[in-house]
Amino acid sequence: MSRIEAKTDAFRAIADPTRRAILDRLRAGPANAGTLAADFRTSRPAVSRHLRVLREARLVVDTQIGRERLYVVNPVPLQNVAGWLEGYRAFWQASLTKLKRNLEAK
Amino acid sequence: MSGISTHARAVADVIDGRIVASVELATTPERVFQALASREIVDWWVNPGVFDTREWTGDVRVGGRWRASGIARGQPYVLEGEFIEVDPPRRLVQTWHRAGAPGTPSTVTYLLEPIDGGTRLTVHHQDIAAPDQRSNVGAGWRSSFDRLSEILSVHHT
Repeated sequence: MSRIEAKTDAFRAIADPTRRAILDRLRAGPANAGTLAADFRTSRPAVSRHLRVLREARLVVDTQIGRERLYVVNPVPLQNVAGWLEGYRAFWQASLTKLKRNLEAK
Repeated sequence: MSGISTHARAVADVIDGRIVASVELATTPERVFQALASREIVDWWVNPGVFDTREWTGDVRVGGRWRASGIARGQPYVLEGEFIEVDPPRRLVQTWHRAGAPGTPSTVTYLLEPIDGGTRLTVHHQDIAAPDQRSNVGAGWRSSFDRLSEILSVHHT
């Protein structure tokens, strides 16, 4: 997968509020699909579908530990998203700094 | 004015695709609101050397449109949107979209609170990285995001 495809998939994957919530939950620590389904009061197949989208976007990785499959956040694609947001962040930082200078100039 | 902090702060929430920025200003909410909803925007919607607003027009009422144009890295651009909430001097909400770009607009919310010695202005710029899932996420969408990214980013050369 090219870098641009991975980035697009990451955007699409986090456009869904349930998947954002799952990612937020996994940032607190690894979990298996059953735990996530219980946490989000949704069905195991629904959680599995979300996890598959997140896995395909490489936002999560799974590891088999004994009989348990644990999901962990992979921060790398999120850094692409962060890079995209950085332009907006810098814009507002610079603009509000300028606004303050203008409004407080005597 | 001792209570007024000296710096603007802006942070990105990557998971939510949102920027939250705030600044404390040693002036009244009424004066700040005027700067948010008038041609004064050309004096402060800037990121030096990256993004330079030259013109702004707006019909500042609910459902009214606004339009800003300028130069970013030598290329002209147009931003536009609609006012969703207009509640001077407390709150202003507007959509924000690059003209001609596919995808759904983002939303900018300004909140103004009186504080000791001035006004705290908080900006929420949200839904930035949330393209319409039902639309075809194709080449046009990608290149649009990349162009916007180039326009806004301080890191591209």
